[in-house]
Amino acid sequence: MSHPESVSPMTQMFEEFDLTTEHAQHFFGIDLRPLNKLLAQLPLPFDISVNKAVVVLWLAALLSFGLIFYAGRGRGLVAKGLRNAIEALFQFVKTDIVEDNMGHEGRKWLPFIGGLFFFILFSNLLGLIPGSFSPTSNINVTATLAILVFFSIIIQGMIKQGGFGFWKNLAPSGLPAWLYIIMYPLEFVSLLAKPFSLAVRLFANLLAGHIVILSLLSLGILAGSWLVKPVPVFAATVMYGFEIFVAFIQAYIFAILTALYIGTAIHPEH
Amino acid sequence: MEINLAHLGAGLAMGLGALGPGIGIGILAGKALEGMARQPEASATIRTSMFIGLAFAEAIALYSFVMAILLFTK
Repeated sequence: MSHPESVSPMTQMFEEFDLTTEHAQHFFGIDLRPLNKLLAQLPLPFDISVNKAVVVLWLAALLSFGLIFYAGRGRGLVAKGLRNAIEALFQFVKTDIVEDNMGHEGRKWLPFIGGLFFFILFSNLLGLIPGSFSPTSNINVTATLAILVFFSIIIQGMIKQGGFGFWKNLAPSGLPAWLYIIMYPLEFVSLLAKPFSLAVRLFANLLAGHIVILSLLSLGILAGSWLVKPVPVFAATVMYGFEIFVAFIQAYIFAILTALYIGTAIHPEH
Repeated sequence: MEINLAHLGAGLAMGLGALGPGIGIGILAGKALEGMARQPEASATIRTSMFIGLAFAEAIALYSFVMAILLFTK
């Protein structure tokens, strides 16, 4: 960390995750403030200023598009190298996530869920580069993705089961009439809880992982003796390896839960 | 030294909030391993369901983590 040692590392900790500071308007030494001054000229009702999280989002979008495009253009039966890796991941998304949970009719959702998977995966992994920022550790990014999933569930459900049928099928049929007064509000809340838990799970997992690494490194700064300093750094390195695993797991969980939720909208339980 | 009770609350929220999901994930992983040992051919299905269950159990701890962050930055 470039901050002076007189400032407590713990108070510095949360400033690293604050995207409103001037520090957040730099990305690997590139000053984004001139660009933001230009963007402020645009007559828009909302703020579109760019910070480091937005730059990583662009990179993640470019990477997920570029790599799949590159792998898709490959010719020949035998895939090698990078194309092989992307094909294996995509095959995993196709069979294990989409087809297992959504059935044959879910195939048309493969681009959406595959896109979500690769975009979240690259956002998570790019955030692990020291000096970078994980956009998925911000609630705004994950909430946007979760809202997309929420409307996908509702629209797919209303197409498949009819505009009225989807809302009717929220509660199981064949119950005593008075029970529906309790069931419908409950099921409606559980419908709203799905995107909420998706958003909070992804953002809190990433944020927690990054805070753990930062806390361990802060312990290294706090330690008085050079004999002790390597210990927290070693622990932080172990956690860093674990974070790579978490990046994959969280992308997988987001994609598979999306597939499950949309899959239940296609095949409602009776 | 000034004592900030919000920081104490943040620590308690995280610690107590991790207790239940910790037990839950332990039971979940244990049962999943048991199932895989009994029926190795069903490993793939069990692992998938385990990760989904894990995500739901973990989310509860993460809610308390968010509350702890809100209390800590207060």
